[in-house]
Amino acid sequence: MPSIEAVTVPKWGMTMTEGKITQWMVGEGDLVTRGQEILEIETTKVTNVVEAAASGTLRRIVLTEGTTAPVGALAGVIADEVATPEEIDAFIESYADRLGGGDEGEGGAAVPRTIVVDGGAINLLEAGPQSDETVVLLHGFGGDLSTWLFNQSALAESMRVVAIDLPGHGASSPIAGGDIFPKIVSAVEAAVEAVAPGKLHLIAHSFGGAVAAAIAANRPSRVASLTLIAPIGLSRQISREFLVDFVAAERRRPLHSVLERLFADPSKITSDMVEGTLRFKRLEGVPEALSAIADTIADDHGGQVQSIGGQLAALTCPVTILWGERDAIVPVPQQADLPANARLRIIPGIGHMPQMEASSAVNEAILENLQRSSGI
Amino acid sequence: MAQKSFRQALNEALHFEMGRDPRVIMMGEDLTGGAGANGVKDAWGGPFGVTRGLLDAFGPERIRDTPISEAAFIGAAAGAALTGLRPIAEIMFVDFAGVCLDQIMNQAAKFRYMFGGRAKTPLVIRATYGAGSRSGSQHTQALYPIFTHIPGLKVVIPSTPYDAKGLLLQAIRDDDPVIFLEHKMLYDTVGEVPDGAYTIPFGEARVARDGKDVLIVAIGRMVQIAEEAARKLAAEGISACIIDPRTTSPLDEDTLLEFTETIGRVVIVDEANPRCSVAADISALLADKCFDALKAPIKLVTAPHAPVPYAPNLEDAYIPSADAVAKAATSIIKR
Repeated sequence: MPSIEAVTVPKWGMTMTEGKITQWMVGEGDLVTRGQEILEIETTKVTNVVEAAASGTLRRIVLTEGTTAPVGALAGVIADEVATPEEIDAFIESYADRLGGGDEGEGGAAVPRTIVVDGGAINLLEAGPQSDETVVLLHGFGGDLSTWLFNQSALAESMRVVAIDLPGHGASSPIAGGDIFPKIVSAVEAAVEAVAPGKLHLIAHSFGGAVAAAIAANRPSRVASLTLIAPIGLSRQISREFLVDFVAAERRRPLHSVLERLFADPSKITSDMVEGTLRFKRLEGVPEALSAIADTIADDHGGQVQSIGGQLAALTCPVTILWGERDAIVPVPQQADLPANARLRIIPGIGHMPQMEASSAVNEAILENLQRSSGI
Repeated sequence: MAQKSFRQALNEALHFEMGRDPRVIMMGEDLTGGAGANGVKDAWGGPFGVTRGLLDAFGPERIRDTPISEAAFIGAAAGAALTGLRPIAEIMFVDFAGVCLDQIMNQAAKFRYMFGGRAKTPLVIRATYGAGSRSGSQHTQALYPIFTHIPGLKVVIPSTPYDAKGLLLQAIRDDDPVIFLEHKMLYDTVGEVPDGAYTIPFGEARVARDGKDVLIVAIGRMVQIAEEAARKLAAEGISACIIDPRTTSPLDEDTLLEFTETIGRVVIVDEANPRCSVAADISALLADKCFDALKAPIKLVTAPHAPVPYAPNLEDAYIPSADAVAKAATSIIKR
């Protein structure tokens, strides 16, 4: 039985409807391995690479460079040597029928919605089919739910995935006054309560990691797995300059240079990302809220304020921690600072944003951790 | 996030700032009544529906209908600004600045300078501009080059509902006279606008689209035209970057220079007449400051040096088109 796999135009973010093939990094007849970068696609918002979902030979390029095609369109075919040209033709033909029959219609694009909880309005974006368990995505300081651009759709194939804007971020309302960290945790808990009744798989980045750890500690029976990406609260140090400079940057150029520190490869930063960040930073009350949050993350000497090691150690669910080797914001922790029940995976050549910089590796690690929880 | 029209975005900004700051007042023609409204209050929400609901919310003391005399009410507004109010004066069509240019150019724009910095003039003059509405030569001009030329004025030309709200709040809070120009053909355009208040700093261009083959600089309604052109170019495999300066005074020179340095090919789209225009000004800036980075001549796509025609077919031909922009871009890429 030959193995034939499709390479398709992915959906990166809720507004993406089509993508332009800018570069094939391999040619027809080349051997590819699973996870290898094979294709670069550009949208009006981002340019990113598609990785091979299977190992084999790139037998056919269907969409040539310069072509623009809708999300889900067949871009190429990876197959083993056993597959005959006729079988590949038949596969391509069957794919043409499939396109347009999917649920990714123009009107079907997901849009975020805002729910009101104690503590303010929380903006969230839901994707995927109804399921008993829900994947909850929590972004980091200064981010918003668009940090999961390359992850949410991929994770939502078989489960419901909810990405949440933390208070004072994205389109969620800022929280004022003292005790800001516990207030953020309870606002997020209330939002999760409202939209996700069953078990939770918490996936959290950076500052969101401390929020996720607090939720897991508050309700351990609800949390089925925890995947933390470069979380705060484990390493001893953190870049306080990043937090201070991020809050201070009011214009595009300074903000761009602050955001560059997040990535090992700063060319990943798009104007949309900068403008989107400025948009929420400009909202009244947000700079003050961000300053207050920054103070709950780092002290004046760049030491970490939060500590999540104890909370993680008490959990019985699977805990995976992912880290970019070249993280310049929250350095990779010492093994001694990690709880024994946490698995650490370091992704080489990547900065503080693995979910964007190495989305396939991150998605794979998340799915693996999810599976561990179900005991498969 | 809520989708709102350009008109709604402006209305929200006015409501918000008048509620926040009791010094903000409005003056203009038909703000509270309306031609043929027979005494019905707030009949039209202002000539273009932008001020709807303000009379009810803030009363006739702060929302003031004026006689049809721009010279009188722009002068009064400038004086009121000097005494500590923060007036917003509405000129129905920017073309009528012709009858109150002394108040703007020789008075409001000069107070801070001539009084040795001891006088502030927190005045916003809102006005509609632009062709496309079949309103004839005296109601359709894009006169921002005149104001941009005058030191002491700030000139704001929003292109999206989001920018309209943030820039208007910034304009009202600014301590200098601001000319705030609204394209009539943009009022019904819709975009994401947060419910909360926010300000966009002046002199901060927006990168409306990333691209690497050609840079299109566009102002006001021309940003839409540039976006349409960019879609046409994308179909030909050409990737266009779009920059919207948002304010022509101050001008975000750094962003324009940065992107010209990287891209090297520039098309500037401007609805105003070409002589002594913002397009010509930006072109001179780029030629002066980054000549060595240019791979081709800078192309200007502007209206002709003629009044806006009244005949619909001529008016349509007068306005820079997406085809003309795409053609200009192609001409400097394939040379």
